[in-house]
Amino acid sequence: MLLFRSELHVDRWCAQWNRPRGGTLTLSQGWRLAKEWYADRLSPAWRPKTVAEAEAAFARIGLVGEFWKLGS
Amino acid sequence: MIVSRQSPEAYDARLRQSIYRHFIREGRAPAVAEMAAALSSPMRKVRAALERLAQTHAFVLQETGELWRAAPFSAVPTAFPVRSGKRAWHGNCIWDALGIPAMLHQNARIDASCGCCNYEMVLRVEQGRVLGPKGIIHIAVLARHWYDDIVFT
Repeated sequence: MLLFRSELHVDRWCAQWNRPRGGTLTLSQGWRLAKEWYADRLSPAWRPKTVAEAEAAFARIGLVGEFWKLGS
Repeated sequence: MIVSRQSPEAYDARLRQSIYRHFIREGRAPAVAEMAAALSSPMRKVRAALERLAQTHAFVLQETGELWRAAPFSAVPTAFPVRSGKRAWHGNCIWDALGIPAMLHQNARIDASCGCCNYEMVLRVEQGRVLGPKGIIHIAVLARHWYDDIVFT
């Protein structure tokens, strides 16, 4: 999960490493995702998110579609 | 002989908390021996708990059995250094680098760079907002396959 200057630099990286283009997020979405994932990590009651919880977290940030599905 | 009645789940939670406290305080991962000392436990008990914690994917172990990552922290240097006040850590990726201030609920500076050309992209988290140059995060692997090869992901 890397940060890039622009869409053009994402495309260059994909071409350089012969990788299909994956999913992209704005920095704002990345920050919201980080908070969804880690804001409660120091809680003694923390447990990993279930598939449904993780997909719901993605959806709250606008990350929907086949790329973001965790279940079959 | 003292017999511990603590459940594996409760022990794992104590170990998890101890590891995170060590990372936050020291800026590095605790060695297994340090974990054992912190919990007054035999190292074999710590190693067994680490194996269970690794099943959550939040923890990844090196072949030696030492920690590689306790997300969002990396136990080895990466291209995602994070500084908050006088303390510094490394994130495993840009998501985890942002995850450190998100977890600590603190302001931070992330000395990131473009994954393509290494152009410097310093990000700041201040008062719950991320500031800095416009950028795009790219995730190369389908979400359902993230843990097939977590290092590449």
